[in-house]
Amino acid sequence: MNLSGLNIKDIGKGLRNGDFSSREITRSYLDRIGEKDGDIGAYLRTMPETAMAQAEEVDRLIAAHKEIGPLAGVPLAIKDNMLIAGEKATAASRILENYVAAYDAGVIKKLKGGGAVFLGKTNLDEFAMGSSTENSALKLTRNPRDLTRVPGGSSGGSAAAVAADLAAGALGSDTFSSVRLPASYCGVVGLKCTYGSVSRAGLIAMASSMDQIGPLAKTVEDAAVLFQAIAGRDEMDATSTDADYGDLLDADPSRMVIGMPEEYFIEGVDPEVRAAIESVRDVFSEAGAKILRVSLPHTKYAVPCYYLSMPAEVSANLARFDGIRFPGVFAPGELPKELFDIYSETRGRGFGPEVKRRIILGTFVLSSGYYDAYYKKAQQVRRLISDDFAEAFRKADVLLTPIAPTPAFRIGEKVNDPLAMYLSDIFVGPVNLAGLPGISVPVAGREEKLPIGFQLIGKHFREADILGLGRFYEKTTAP
Amino acid sequence: MAEISKESLEHLAKLARLDIPEEEERKLLGDLENILGHFSELQKIDTSAVEPVAGGTSLRNSFREDDERTATDQGKGVDSFPNSRKGFLRVPPVFKAK
Repeated sequence: MNLSGLNIKDIGKGLRNGDFSSREITRSYLDRIGEKDGDIGAYLRTMPETAMAQAEEVDRLIAAHKEIGPLAGVPLAIKDNMLIAGEKATAASRILENYVAAYDAGVIKKLKGGGAVFLGKTNLDEFAMGSSTENSALKLTRNPRDLTRVPGGSSGGSAAAVAADLAAGALGSDTFSSVRLPASYCGVVGLKCTYGSVSRAGLIAMASSMDQIGPLAKTVEDAAVLFQAIAGRDEMDATSTDADYGDLLDADPSRMVIGMPEEYFIEGVDPEVRAAIESVRDVFSEAGAKILRVSLPHTKYAVPCYYLSMPAEVSANLARFDGIRFPGVFAPGELPKELFDIYSETRGRGFGPEVKRRIILGTFVLSSGYYDAYYKKAQQVRRLISDDFAEAFRKADVLLTPIAPTPAFRIGEKVNDPLAMYLSDIFVGPVNLAGLPGISVPVAGREEKLPIGFQLIGKHFREADILGLGRFYEKTTAP
Repeated sequence: MAEISKESLEHLAKLARLDIPEEEERKLLGDLENILGHFSELQKIDTSAVEPVAGGTSLRNSFREDDERTATDQGKGVDSFPNSRKGFLRVPPVFKAK
């Protein structure tokens, strides 16, 4: 039996039935990582001892006939910008290469409480800044479906781990695309949750007004299980809140209106992507959903709006990495004499080019004389983008869109052109500006081709609508 | 639309406490010019009557109970600091010696 191929739901069943133990399944994942991850590079590091100890604990509960939750004993991968006490958390940056977390992130506390097993920490674009994971200062991650291509980013390691059966599920974080884009490129499910639905405490912050942790999984049902486990108020994050989500998998397409924004089907969208999304539309429309054209007129401003807003938050959030509060890049005794030089040289050596670009850009847009023209302007445009969605959601329950204009691109293809890289996010980023939930689900029947994901966008805290429809699509198109 | 000159880049780098080696400056300037050029799109929209967004949440007065608790354990908090002695954090001198 190939234990690593199982999804979360089946692992739960198998553990309860006594078909295998959590130790067996954890061991089989760790072995598979040892065999396969050399080629893929999903993990920055594994945590075999902690993982086996966690698994043993769950096996003890099962042996004692205790009630266990849906994630108990399930081996997961965690993006390396979330803190697990006693483990390194590097954000794939040189500046945090030797940092060991002192506490658990809110989501980690919840997962530990549910008995989940952590296999290791996955690669990402440095500080989650990127769309291909090529900005990692520590490692290159390859797309398991085609090793010459990027896995997408910034949660590329988590997406690749799930796609290659190197974890049963994973956590990523999504500020403008970072869960959904890699999910689409690697052919797995990725959920960007409503802003505030999941605690950001212990997530190394990039742009705090948009960052949101979300699950990556093999099925929509698994993504719902992970979402349920991590959602809810955490008093360590004042923006987090409880909400009544209802049954997460119960949406009925025949009672729903699905909007398709015309600005998302523009020139530059690969004909294959367009055809794939149309095939998804047909599945819903045959099931009785009403399909409606809607307009989100400010869509084309989302990328420039984001690249003014986000760097401002980045320049503030990353000010704490100064060579003093966290282990720096200098060996003892090598530290510069002047305090200014300690800051400046630590940051100069410790941050990669994309991080530097964003810090400089953020410092620029917040500086006196430019604040109104850039930062304030961007915040006003952000309002217009949110209002577009509010207007569309008067008529539609959910929106159906592509995730990206093309399937995964080749490694190195966009690395020297930041603007081209930024534009990969054009259909997924607006969701973060408006704080909405969005899911990426693989288009069916592409096992032999590069994966393409479709996106469903829901109203605030209506994860049930997008998960439910995603689940319906998965069931309907299952071979 | 403002442009970033070599001098203003150096000034920004100083404000951001970010050492940028001479050889990285040219590439960075080019990238910034491209990116800011893309932003000029935004200037075309009339936003005079638009209230700017502040943050990502619409929650108000998000408080917790004001009771005593241990957040980060002091021992672990100190351990994760690069340089400490006897429970105190050690930092480089802030004032210059005469």
